[in-house]
Amino acid sequence: MSTAIASTEERPRINRDEAALILTSGPAEQENHEFADWFSQLRFDAWKTFQEIPPPARTDEAWRFATIKALDLAGWARPVPVAESVASELIQRSSGGLETAGRMIFANDQLLSRELRAKELEAQGVIWKPLEQAIAEHEALVSRHFMTQEVVLGSRKYAALHQANVRAGTFIYVPRNVEIALPLETIHWLHGRNHSVFPHTLIIVGENSKVTVIDRFHGAGGEAGFACGVNDLFLERGAKLTYVNVQDWSRETLAFQINSTTVGRDASAINMALNLGGKYARTESVSRLLGEGGRSDMLALSVADGTQEFDQRTLQDHRKPDTASDLLYKNSLDDQARTIFAGLIRVEPGSHRTDAYQKVRNLLLSDDAEANSMPGLEILADEVRCTHGATSGQLGEEELFYMLARGIPRREAQRLMVFGFLNEVIERLGDKKIGDELRELMRRKFAAG
Amino acid sequence: MKSLVIKDLHASVAGNEIIRGLSLVIEPGKVHAIMGPNGSGKSTLAKVLGGHPDYEVTGGEVLMDGEEILGMEPDDRARKGLFIAFQYPMEIPGVSNANFLRAAVQARLPEGETLDATEYYGRLYEKMDLLEIDRKFTSRSVNEGFSGGEKKRNEILQMALLEPRYAILDETDSGLDIDALKIVSNGVNTLRGPNLGVLLITHYQRLLNYIVPDVVHVMVRGRIVRTGGKELALALEEQGYDWIIKEEELEEPAAV
Amino acid sequence: MPAETIDIDRSVGDFSYPESHEFDAGTGLTRDTINYIVDVKGEPDWIRDFRLKALETFESKPMPTHWASHDLDAIHFDKIRYYLANGQRPTRSWDEVPEDVKRTFERLGIPEQERKFLAGVEAQFDSEAVYSNIKAAVGEQGVIFTGSTEGLKNHPELFKKWFGKVIPTGDNKFSALNSAVFSGGSFIYVPPGVKVKHPLQAYFRINAENFGQFERTLIIADEGSEVMYMEGCTAPKFETATLHSAVVELVAMKGAKIQYVTVQNWSPNVFNLVTKRAIAHEEAEVKWIDCNIGSRLTMKYPGVVLKGRKARGEVLSIALASNGQHQDTGAKMIHAADETTSNIISKSISVGTGRATYRGLVHVPRHLKHCKNNTECDALLINAHSRTDTYPAITVRGTGNAVQHEASVSQVSAEQIFYMQQRGLSEGQAMSLSVNGFVNDLVRQFPMEYSVELKRLIDLEMEGSVG
Repeated sequence: MSTAIASTEERPRINRDEAALILTSGPAEQENHEFADWFSQLRFDAWKTFQEIPPPARTDEAWRFATIKALDLAGWARPVPVAESVASELIQRSSGGLETAGRMIFANDQLLSRELRAKELEAQGVIWKPLEQAIAEHEALVSRHFMTQEVVLGSRKYAALHQANVRAGTFIYVPRNVEIALPLETIHWLHGRNHSVFPHTLIIVGENSKVTVIDRFHGAGGEAGFACGVNDLFLERGAKLTYVNVQDWSRETLAFQINSTTVGRDASAINMALNLGGKYARTESVSRLLGEGGRSDMLALSVADGTQEFDQRTLQDHRKPDTASDLLYKNSLDDQARTIFAGLIRVEPGSHRTDAYQKVRNLLLSDDAEANSMPGLEILADEVRCTHGATSGQLGEEELFYMLARGIPRREAQRLMVFGFLNEVIERLGDKKIGDELRELMRRKFAAG
Repeated sequence: MKSLVIKDLHASVAGNEIIRGLSLVIEPGKVHAIMGPNGSGKSTLAKVLGGHPDYEVTGGEVLMDGEEILGMEPDDRARKGLFIAFQYPMEIPGVSNANFLRAAVQARLPEGETLDATEYYGRLYEKMDLLEIDRKFTSRSVNEGFSGGEKKRNEILQMALLEPRYAILDETDSGLDIDALKIVSNGVNTLRGPNLGVLLITHYQRLLNYIVPDVVHVMVRGRIVRTGGKELALALEEQGYDWIIKEEELEEPAAV
Repeated sequence: MPAETIDIDRSVGDFSYPESHEFDAGTGLTRDTINYIVDVKGEPDWIRDFRLKALETFESKPMPTHWASHDLDAIHFDKIRYYLANGQRPTRSWDEVPEDVKRTFERLGIPEQERKFLAGVEAQFDSEAVYSNIKAAVGEQGVIFTGSTEGLKNHPELFKKWFGKVIPTGDNKFSALNSAVFSGGSFIYVPPGVKVKHPLQAYFRINAENFGQFERTLIIADEGSEVMYMEGCTAPKFETATLHSAVVELVAMKGAKIQYVTVQNWSPNVFNLVTKRAIAHEEAEVKWIDCNIGSRLTMKYPGVVLKGRKARGEVLSIALASNGQHQDTGAKMIHAADETTSNIISKSISVGTGRATYRGLVHVPRHLKHCKNNTECDALLINAHSRTDTYPAITVRGTGNAVQHEASVSQVSAEQIFYMQQRGLSEGQAMSLSVNGFVNDLVRQFPMEYSVELKRLIDLEMEGSVG
């Protein structure tokens, strides 16, 4: 009780505008959203946390090898809603692609459209709503899950920043025994110079249910921007979730994506990330295996070129016996690109008979590209099977010659081989349509490069 | 002049001269065979003609229908009509046969022209049937997990699809059982014609029972030392290479 | 296992003799301590400056607990004695060796044959070399094999050129500490083309409570020469923490080969915080063979800076972490020239509450061609409370290099143990066999006498680990 009073008393001392307008260097925007009290409180608390936590330093293990100076937060502004003409253009640009059960489109954290195609979902009790609406209509469900997972891989400060600013995103609740055949998709656009977005995805998959969710993040133009997203995935007993995260922000974007996947008993998660855009893009991905028989597949593909830096930190946290996790991250690096992979398999005491694998493979295509790998293991249990591997190499000379000898031009041969290298990860997804979509996105990046 | 002309070719790898003044002319419509003991430089010849970066040409020239090819990139040579069927075809993980072959066919089209997919697959399947290759093969990665016989059939399939002017078949018979050998030979024989010159590189006479050559050359220590008809191959089969090597040594004592 | 192999006297290394130290710098570390050391040892002024500067560096550097074990906080630098010598000049013949020292060798169970070798051995008791005798044959070849103090006094031209160059004072807090207070250790110079037939050996002991040892070893193998150095240690048991913090620098000139073998078996109250690094010039080869069995906490990551074309570096390491121990070991390979290759093989065994950690660094900077690194880390967990960690960091820039790292964690198969038990072996014996099998391919690379010793130690640990 006393803490509640204390925090109410504190509220006036936190400047609402300041909380709403952090990162602002431009004109102040009016905070015109009225969230439920409990949610506003979370935002204020987070803002305080954000201010308390010092920014990362070069000596922080969680930030080893990262280019700290890329993290400068000065100069980013809250986004203004896009003009109507831009909105319709972005809706237009969002069309096509995969056949989905439903699609939401956001631009600058504003909902542009929500289209539910699989009408039966509502009758089945599936909740698929913009976060803001879910906060208002499903307080119990949202508050029980929203930002409840500790951020352990270094970005606590940025998670707090997200929480202090979040408004847009997707809330999905699938009740027990529901299988949704087609994927649910959300597309986020970031439009305008120096704007920031804080997309949130919260997915709760009930017992024995099954769903595929795709988040796509695009830059509307080539302008600089700041994106700080969180996705929290909860799988209850026997649930199956495939989550695909396509990061295609503009090349001038500073981007964070913080993932937490909580896997219950006999549940199975596949988390696939495709990293294409951004200037410095950091992803943190944690799989917590909390129930026996749980499994998590963590997949990522990164196509880095120019001066892009992709910083990937992962944790496979085995808390119960008989759990499995399998991570495969592949990076192709061209030009002066840098990648960082720091992954940890942690097997807690008592989590016997854990199977955990972790593999990172770097393909270096240029003399100035740099790949850093820190695959880690912390094993505190018995009867485990854990392996990890990291390789860094380049295209095989003999394979390349073989292709040249068939008359395939060098550039094309290289491109085919890079695709071949990356394709293994897409194959692991086991979904041809989504795979084709991801291949198409990669193709576009290669074509542009 | 229509022919593949190799004139006084010298080539070395890591400083060791392997091809030591080799000359040979392959005319369109003709099948030449090069036989020779292990280490005579037969496979090196194929790699040098293909433009493998590990091999350094130190002398001589190679003209394909009058055009010097030694200065060309490997893919340029290939598109000009030179095909090498490799002794050890490479495995290329993650790249499907269909995409690989498509890229190779596409690369031969004029700038700006795209492949007609229906026509391409029609042609591909026709050649695959000829070589008794399963349709599932198109979605598999290039040579990955293929048996020795499958790899060699894949080489001949590529040759059939790419329609070269000159084809160098490097030990295409090695690692094949008799059934596979028949299929591969049948494929090559079907492709024989007035517009294709073939150079068969082989250690054993066996292949020549199935693909009957017009001319047989014997290669020893980096050069051609005998040329004759197919009866030369039979003589080698009976007597081995020793007699030729000895004669060579007599002619050229201590030529190291 | 035959009975005699488990019949090892567990009190080996568990003894000490009356102390009679004539020179003692007292506890704690100040400028006075350093001036005292320099005066007593009669060292030149450049060493005094070097030491005093190192003290400042040591004091300015934080404990590395932001990545390393917090157990380091248990070290109380002000309670440590930084220097004491037993007042004897290094002796040259066996007869001159004090009786209690001889008895120590005996208790250590050094084989008869090996004792003969003592003629060519640098044996160190407490922090000053009490016995230093270069085998005649080695001396005739022009090999210098002496204590580091004698090295810096008598061979300043050689010593100064490389001392502190492979491992700069400020490399880490403990290299700075060593640079401030070092005493003892070996100085070896092998002239061009000389291939030293017999391994050069040194024995180290800690023989006083609260007494830290700060050996400083510098080995220079000139062009085309070859040398193997062996270092083994046991220590008596004491109640309070003991600090051992050595610095070992190796320089392999063009085409030279150095093998450095360590078997570390400090008593379980010792903090063993060691910095070891080599520079390998063109076509040189440096191999660290490192075996860690004892100590409370060992932190040691032998490294090779591959400075010349075609240089080769190798670390073969075995760690056995028993109850209460933390073996935090690994390797560093810094590629700095084309066509350099490095190989790291690390095997660890965690028993009881033991914790084995592998920490590695592989660095291939830009524009190098045809560099190769291969790293394999295998960990074996014996009990449910054992722990193992792997923390490699690998940086590769550019094309034309191949780097691969693999690690696995496994345990002794219950089926395997059952199978052997069915054939009549005890569980402990079966476990010993399995664990010896796990490390066998590495142990074979050790010098004979060490591999036998190692096998025995593993037997001993396994006997105690089950039931």
